[in-house]
Amino acid sequence: MPFTDVKSSSDQPLTGCRVVECSHSVAAAYAGRLLAAMGAQVVMLEPESGSALRQAPPWLEGSGESALFAYLSVGKSSRIAALDQSQGQQLLRDELAQAHIFIEDIPVAQRAACGLGSQAQTLSQDFPQLVHVSVLPFGATGPKAHWSAEEVNLLHAGGEGYLLPNGLSYEIFPERAPLKIYGHFASYQAGASAAMCALAAWWAAPTHGGQYVDVSAQDANLTVGAFALQRLGDGSLEHRATRKFRYGGVFQTQDGYLELLTLEDRQWQGLTELLGTPAWAQDAALQDPLERSRRGDEINQHIRTWMAQHPTQEIVRRAQELGVPAAKYRTPTEVIEGEHERARGLFGKVALPSGREVEVLAAPFQFHCTPLRRAGRVAGLGEMQAKDQA
Amino acid sequence: MKQLRAPLAGIRIADFTIHAAGPFSTHLLSQLGAECIKIESLTRPDAFRKPHAVYGRMQAATFDQVSANKLSVRLNLKHPEAVALAKRLVAVSDVAAESFRPGVMRRLGLDFDALCEVKSDLIYLSLSSSGQSGPDSHFAGYAPLFGAWGGLGWMTGYSDGPPVEMRHVMDHCAGMHAALATLAALNQRRRTGQAQHVDVAAREVACAMLGDALVLASAGQQVQRLGNADLALAPHGIYATARADRWLTLAVRGDADWQALQRVLGCSTSDARFATVASRRLHRRELDALVAGWLRECDADDTACRLQQSGVSAHVSWSMQDIADDAHLRARGALTEVSAPDIAPRLAVGAPARFSRTDEVGIRRLTPALGQDEDYVFGELLGLDSATRADLVEREVIL
Repeated sequence: MPFTDVKSSSDQPLTGCRVVECSHSVAAAYAGRLLAAMGAQVVMLEPESGSALRQAPPWLEGSGESALFAYLSVGKSSRIAALDQSQGQQLLRDELAQAHIFIEDIPVAQRAACGLGSQAQTLSQDFPQLVHVSVLPFGATGPKAHWSAEEVNLLHAGGEGYLLPNGLSYEIFPERAPLKIYGHFASYQAGASAAMCALAAWWAAPTHGGQYVDVSAQDANLTVGAFALQRLGDGSLEHRATRKFRYGGVFQTQDGYLELLTLEDRQWQGLTELLGTPAWAQDAALQDPLERSRRGDEINQHIRTWMAQHPTQEIVRRAQELGVPAAKYRTPTEVIEGEHERARGLFGKVALPSGREVEVLAAPFQFHCTPLRRAGRVAGLGEMQAKDQA
Repeated sequence: MKQLRAPLAGIRIADFTIHAAGPFSTHLLSQLGAECIKIESLTRPDAFRKPHAVYGRMQAATFDQVSANKLSVRLNLKHPEAVALAKRLVAVSDVAAESFRPGVMRRLGLDFDALCEVKSDLIYLSLSSSGQSGPDSHFAGYAPLFGAWGGLGWMTGYSDGPPVEMRHVMDHCAGMHAALATLAALNQRRRTGQAQHVDVAAREVACAMLGDALVLASAGQQVQRLGNADLALAPHGIYATARADRWLTLAVRGDADWQALQRVLGCSTSDARFATVASRRLHRRELDALVAGWLRECDADDTACRLQQSGVSAHVSWSMQDIADDAHLRARGALTEVSAPDIAPRLAVGAPARFSRTDEVGIRRLTPALGQDEDYVFGELLGLDSATRADLVEREVIL
């Protein structure tokens, strides 16, 4: 079983790892969330008014609670620490004294006011084994380190935004502004990078001691966008108008949309069979993949005509039987109700501070030898202090 | 030999991954200092060694980011002796990574259980489209399909348009999460001494990119595609400027930002609909039209700089050429110039972050030629003498 409903387990990948998180941004919160999902003990230090993420959209109807915060905070503890006051700064230092990893997104210019000192090295003197990860939009160093950014800025500062949309959407709306990816994709790349670098540095701690790790959301997005830079090096500057598969892509079906992509010869053969072995596909010239690329628009027209006459599920089922990569564009509701996702136990029940229960994606990875726990809760603001006082 | 001053120095990976997502995960670990040995064969070379017509590449790549830093050996895994050699390589490695469809590694005799027999504390990474279990686990897929299955493609797009396909960033996002999970397993091994099988489904990583929308869906709420709109910030979006296809991204957080925007642009409005944050949110579309008019004749680059000086989050929608020209990314080492005797100087993505004490992270070597590191791997690591290796080549075990 890939996940377990046991609410606490001593046998998680990061059991024993203590993390302190000061997050205002999705990026830092996601880093902490990923570590918490793998069993780290993550303490969120929040201002007295609570993390701004507690109020961030989208919101659950009825309770008005933030679905984003619920997703980002499962399994973490909450403690109030006003970092602009000496008491809060002392509390931070008390927490850091017990921590292995510190994740924060405090702008460099505000660090001194939070008692961190303007230089990151300050912390390493007092906590020599601590892995201190800062995750900022443009990093903590470099000429643009002081720039601020929200998700839409980050996705376009990293290069991917300029390339969206491509394919069918661009064909329909060529004059429109480029797009962002839904939600917080760019911030999640930064968070995943921060978590990855935190664990790399923690791995090295017995040899090198603690250290400061400077993570930039822009860097992280360039990292995942590396292929476009590679294409530039090959002499091709990608643009959303031209970054399309020569054939394949998004297709409208009788009742929805699907994605179809054939990269290999055997998949092309399967596709022609899927389409009923039409006469146009029997053209001997189309046996050559390079010729197919050259005539991609023509091929796509044929495929579109056929797709529009068939229901999505039927196409996808038959395509996968024939070894043709095809997938339905699924709505969030279809995902959460998905048979495959249910079989893999992707979602767990989570109690919110209001007492309401929702299902939340447990983790985007599984550990077969020590299954991750999937049930959990979202801590109320300052819950740890309340427990201390009780 | 002096050990690399990098966080993962001393970690060795036997890398069976192919295509994009899997190789990217091991590439990241190699950037962090791990020694990564790529296992291929002449009959089954990885994608970058072949033309990729669907992407418009008509010959093999001269430089391939995800194979950079890696050592290369050939093994014809259809041959039992090659499988035995692969096991010997795994026995001296910390991690084995693969990205085949579930079942392929088992058929080869290289599944988790088989490899644990030669390496009892092995970290085994499987990165696939749909995971190692579940009714769809046999499905083939690529990045756009991961996004489609996971819901991210549906949620991305103009509100009145079709869904949008995710491209390589989706592969690489999955690869980054896989690298992270592998590191967690390594840290767990240090504590417990136990092996671990890490199972990453790229479509589930796509799901993780819309975790908030899935929470809403679980509560029975319908979620809508928003395009470039934001439910909290207004104005917010991507705006045309004086130069064609030079777009400005803008996210205004609150009243201070709103005042600064007007001041920097030299524009103002007394329209009561835009007087408060809540009202600006409510009248988002009208506000967008107003701000679009303000920005239409602006210089995007200059305006972004001036807005940033006033604390407003703005950035030009950058092409890869803009990124290549950026002094900030170069100063951070995120962009690095690489070259080799057969590769003219070009840019590559460098260190994923800056480490204060283990700073030798990033690209150390470029795309390996097929089998170029067999002296080290087969000779030094596995102790095969040259006559034995020649025999293995002759019998196409090493191919």
